[in-house]
Amino acid sequence: MFFYYLDLAWRSIKKTPLLSLLMVFAISVGISTTITTLNVYQLMSVNPAGERSDKLLAVQLWSQGKDAWKEFNAQVTYQDAFNLRKSELPVRQTPMFVTGLAVQTEDADFSPLLETVRVTDSDFFGMFSVPFLYGGAWDKSVDTQAAYQVVINEDLNKQLFAGENSVGKTLFLDSKPYQVVGVIKTWSPSPQYYDLTTGAFKDSAQLFIPFSLTPMEEFQSWGNNQSWKRESMDTYNGRLNSEMHWIQFWVEVTDDKQRDEYAQWLTAYVEQQQLLGRFESPEAGAQLSNVAQWLDLNEVVPEDNKILVGLSGLFLLVCLVNMLGLLLAKFLKRAPEVGVRRAIGASRNQIFAQHMVEVGLIGFCGGVLGLIWAWGSLSMLSARFNLEESLTHLDPSMWIIAPAIAICAALVAGIYPAWRICSTNPSVHLKSQ
Amino acid sequence: MLHIKPIINTLMRSKSGPILLLIQIILSVAIVANASFIIGERLALMDRESGTEEEQVFNFLLYAFDSGIDIESQIPRDIRAIRELPGVIDATTTSMVPLSGGGWSSGYTIGDSEETAKDTENTAIYYGDDHMVNTLGVDLIEGRNFYETEVLTGSPDLATHGIVSKAFAKKTWGDESAIGQIMYAGGWGDKPIQIIGVVDKLQGAWVNSSYLDNSVILNVRLVNMFSKVLVRVEVGTLAQLKQVIPAMLHKDEPNRVIEDFTLISEHRKRVYRNHELMATVLSMMVILLLLITSLGLAGMVMFNIERRTKQIGTRRALGAKRRDIISLFLVENYIICIVGGIIGGLVAVQLGQQLMTFYSLPKLELIYPIVTVAGMMVLTTIAVILPARKAASISPATATRSV
Repeated sequence: MFFYYLDLAWRSIKKTPLLSLLMVFAISVGISTTITTLNVYQLMSVNPAGERSDKLLAVQLWSQGKDAWKEFNAQVTYQDAFNLRKSELPVRQTPMFVTGLAVQTEDADFSPLLETVRVTDSDFFGMFSVPFLYGGAWDKSVDTQAAYQVVINEDLNKQLFAGENSVGKTLFLDSKPYQVVGVIKTWSPSPQYYDLTTGAFKDSAQLFIPFSLTPMEEFQSWGNNQSWKRESMDTYNGRLNSEMHWIQFWVEVTDDKQRDEYAQWLTAYVEQQQLLGRFESPEAGAQLSNVAQWLDLNEVVPEDNKILVGLSGLFLLVCLVNMLGLLLAKFLKRAPEVGVRRAIGASRNQIFAQHMVEVGLIGFCGGVLGLIWAWGSLSMLSARFNLEESLTHLDPSMWIIAPAIAICAALVAGIYPAWRICSTNPSVHLKSQ
Repeated sequence: MLHIKPIINTLMRSKSGPILLLIQIILSVAIVANASFIIGERLALMDRESGTEEEQVFNFLLYAFDSGIDIESQIPRDIRAIRELPGVIDATTTSMVPLSGGGWSSGYTIGDSEETAKDTENTAIYYGDDHMVNTLGVDLIEGRNFYETEVLTGSPDLATHGIVSKAFAKKTWGDESAIGQIMYAGGWGDKPIQIIGVVDKLQGAWVNSSYLDNSVILNVRLVNMFSKVLVRVEVGTLAQLKQVIPAMLHKDEPNRVIEDFTLISEHRKRVYRNHELMATVLSMMVILLLLITSLGLAGMVMFNIERRTKQIGTRRALGAKRRDIISLFLVENYIICIVGGIIGGLVAVQLGQQLMTFYSLPKLELIYPIVTVAGMMVLTTIAVILPARKAASISPATATRSV
């Protein structure tokens, strides 16, 4: 029966091509704007940590003084990061920040490159599931006994070492020799949840070096540096001992129980620091956020996107009302024909089903066309505004979501016209034949 | 126009069609008014001028990573060499580039005594030399530029003289002249800075900050491994200088990274990207929405005409002119449009209220719904008049043949 109705629907559509086209156009435009905005929204609100989301915790400390900031800072001070690293509770943990260094190779003709570098502990790679192509992270002992070792990514490996296994080779960062211990595969979670301080949608660093080198090499911070206290920072040591917040700190726990234990450990740490004269504010304390909470807390999805999703939803509604009107006009015009069919025995349900199939077919066409529009508009937007690719590729789920929304929306719009047509009295129409 | 009552009666007889049109117009007005308002607001943001010669001024990054380089003598030598190049108007080192999105800002302390001291608003801080005003291309409207002898080299703390933007001067000292005023970089009395000049307009680096127009230029040539260099050139010479400058500087000292040549106009494009994106997407939405609404309306009218062929034919046979038929459909449309417009306007204001409550949007200006409704009237007139003319040309004979 379904295929027969489908055939009828197709014939009916062919009979009024202009009107049907108009309906398909209306619904496709509505769908495409909704899909475009929903797609960007979804990609921004995606949680790249997946099922590990609950195990990875961002650590924040209310270490500022009494009349300083009114909220937790996203980062911690160097001295706190240094102390937190000593905890034995979490499975893995890492402080980190981003810097920039000039890269050179042993090839004297190679003109130096300035690259962003993430300064972190060996646990970083395991915690954030960084895939390796060659080698691995530096040894855990390097986190305490600093060594000049580096992990680079695939792209840089291609550029510097023609893509060969470069483990064991040397490259120069700010004229200092570093030994390559690992090469990672292209890896750039979007949003870059482990460090949101300088923007959530950007490419990851190309190089990773041990955090333990920081006091020796005096790396500049390329991220946010926020101070609440006026204090001298003429020397690098002054910076390390200051109350400036500039380090991101993450821990990994096995379960909620361990999370609670760690929270208690942090509370004890805060109390201990208070005895030393720090954490003076009455609100002093610690806050742990898993990845989902962290993305929420940092408002990763911009306001503009929420407004756009809302407006495009209303837009879709307009398209549906439009379609409803057109369907009504179209179906009612066909009333005499329906009258005949009713008179020769078609039941109301059958008439209703037949019209709903027709509406669904229009919806499906609109959905497919809408997907093509959406794909076109996303490519156009990304070309025009040079957007991050991660935000403008069509999410695979949209291939299901788009036609589904389109068909559902069309069916909703079709209920009233279909009901009107099947509930009319056949005799009225028969009379005028 | 005299026959409004029978028209309303006709509308009331077959309610569903007109009601759907009404809903569509209400929603369209609400969306279009709010979207246009947001577009207008974004365009106004993007229209603000930085006060600099955006097409002439570019910056680049100079990273001297070799600790053997004596930066204190190297940088001035580099800058002098750049100034000599053909096509270059002027050059200076800087701590920050207008509209670039990253840089330095701080508040200062002012007042006659420690007790009456208060903090100024935050302001962007440009550290540079006596060439900075000319390099940026800003207008000095009061006071004077730094003398060459006043320029100090080293850390930011050395600053003693400042040139401020008019906006900052006005916010800090009101109608009093800023020239000769003192502000303190630390607490009251700590690190005094004397204001010697006022520039008409100079924006900072952050276009979404509330203090974008507040700027201070301080008389310090920073010494740092990372140097930002600002160069003002004749338009069109950037592509060539992008090659010439690194080659020249590398020849002097090879252990440096020289990159990121960017015009201020390119920074502008980047920092306003999200606003432009929002305005573009919303414009697309508005255009499509109007298109859909008018096409839908035209389609409905077309079908109404087919349904009412006999009625129209009868009226024509009874002496109605073509004009009367067209005006019948127009009046019908205007009734729906006016009612829809009024309700739509109210819904638009309500929607604007919601957007204001939940997001950082300003209050919807009433002119937007009003213009939208007016525009909708014009648009629907066109959408109705075309099919209506076809209706009017129905010959009474064919239309009434089967009656």
